[in-house]
Amino acid sequence: MIKEVNDKNFDEEIGNSENIVVVDFWAPWCGPCRMLSPVIEELAKEMGKEVKFAKVNVDENPMISSKYRIASIPTVMVFSKDTVKDTMVGFRPKADIKKIIERHL
Amino acid sequence: MSERYDIAIIGTGPAGLEAAINAKIRNKNIVIFGNKDLSPKLAKAAKVNNYLGLYNLTGTELKNKFADHIEDMGVEIVNEKINNVYAMGDYFSLMVNEKVYEAKAIILATGIEYTKPLIGEEEFLGKGVGYCATCDAPLYKGKTVVIVGYNKESVEEANYVSELSGKTYYIPMYKGEYNLNENVEIINNKPLKIVGDDVVTKMILDQGEIATDGIFMLRDSVSPSQLVPGIEIENGHIKVDRDMKTNIDGCYAAGDCTGTPYQYMKSAGEGLVAALSAVSYVDKLHENK
Ligand SMILES: Cc1cc2nc3c(=O)[nH]c(=O)nc-3n(C[C@H](O)[C@H](O)[C@H](O)COP(=O)(O)OP(=O)(O)OC[C@H]3O[C@@H](n4cnc5c(N)ncnc54)[C@H](O)[C@@H]3O)c2cc1C
Repeated sequence: MIKEVNDKNFDEEIGNSENIVVVDFWAPWCGPCRMLSPVIEELAKEMGKEVKFAKVNVDENPMISSKYRIASIPTVMVFSKDTVKDTMVGFRPKADIKKIIERHL
Repeated sequence: MSERYDIAIIGTGPAGLEAAINAKIRNKNIVIFGNKDLSPKLAKAAKVNNYLGLYNLTGTELKNKFADHIEDMGVEIVNEKINNVYAMGDYFSLMVNEKVYEAKAIILATGIEYTKPLIGEEEFLGKGVGYCATCDAPLYKGKTVVIVGYNKESVEEANYVSELSGKTYYIPMYKGEYNLNENVEIINNKPLKIVGDDVVTKMILDQGEIATDGIFMLRDSVSPSQLVPGIEIENGHIKVDRDMKTNIDGCYAAGDCTGTPYQYMKSAGEGLVAALSAVSYVDKLHENK
């Protein structure tokens, strides 16, 4: 459901998507990221038809992380083609994230 | 996997304690976090004369009455500080360092803190400003980091950061011995302001400034918006309705943290309402199962 993307395939996976893409920037050592991932998974189940979900491990993908100036994780970004439409920094409740994604549908 | 409580209460002032006894009377499985002294504000009050039924008492005497009452009801305080509360959907995860507690509903009764954020702090939150140095340190590999430390624990975090960052500055906001690594530079000036463009670029001090990539503010207590990400704040207080419900389902608040007047009786009254609301929320969750 949630596509792991990296420095190499990021542009292809996100830029070429017909749907908007929700990208979760995370790392294994980050507690709030671990709390957020089941929330994102639930959203992917609910909205997977209209929205593509992806995640980027910032430890392994420094190029993408610095390109989008990730200064704090988790950060969730909503992309349409190669433009960032929205950025959420830190953990957010499911209802909040859903509302923000729905703005771009 | 730990048990999931019906209701978790954060804070042991009059609001939290009144919530705890009422939830207990309704037979809910509760947990309450705070400290054995209940509330530092109780100890400070010289004379309390506006608490109906208990008059002409010192704060400490009132505290002892509260302590007797909860002991009689079998309410036991968990002497731990909650760092974060995450709304997972139909339950909450409460973090104490590496430990996690779970509860179906929560009541915030954390009182109010008087230290104001620095100018620019909120604006640059997540854009260079952070509250958990150990969480975000790896993102500052080889970069410059400023740590504003309000307590001893922040020294440990500064040392950890210094192992990864290019340059670490430490600004102590308290007096004492600072057990810092050699490569950490101590700055004995007062921070005034955080500035930047898209991201943080520098910290302005009462004397001079420091160019930096990241700033961590490490305080004793966290504001409600850091404690519960996503909670709605209005004029510096948690926004609640008449049932003491916040914008997050299953999350209630009571006491000074919801707004003025800051009084014992008002806090206790709100704690009572919050507990009853949380009880009916938990009961509804069970019906829907
Ligand atoms: C000097 C002084 C005199 C006063 N005199 C009066 C008076 O005469 N009459 C009157 O009505 N009011 C008086 N007040 C006001 C009164 O003290 C407050 O309104 C009341 O204490 C608020 O109760 P509360 O339960 O909301 O929060 P608090 O009493 O502030 O209690 C909050 C508790 O929660 C704990 N806590 C916070 N965050 C966390 C966390 N993350 N994890 C775990 N625990 C946490 C805190 O350590 C604290 O123990 C006085 C206040 C002061 C300072």
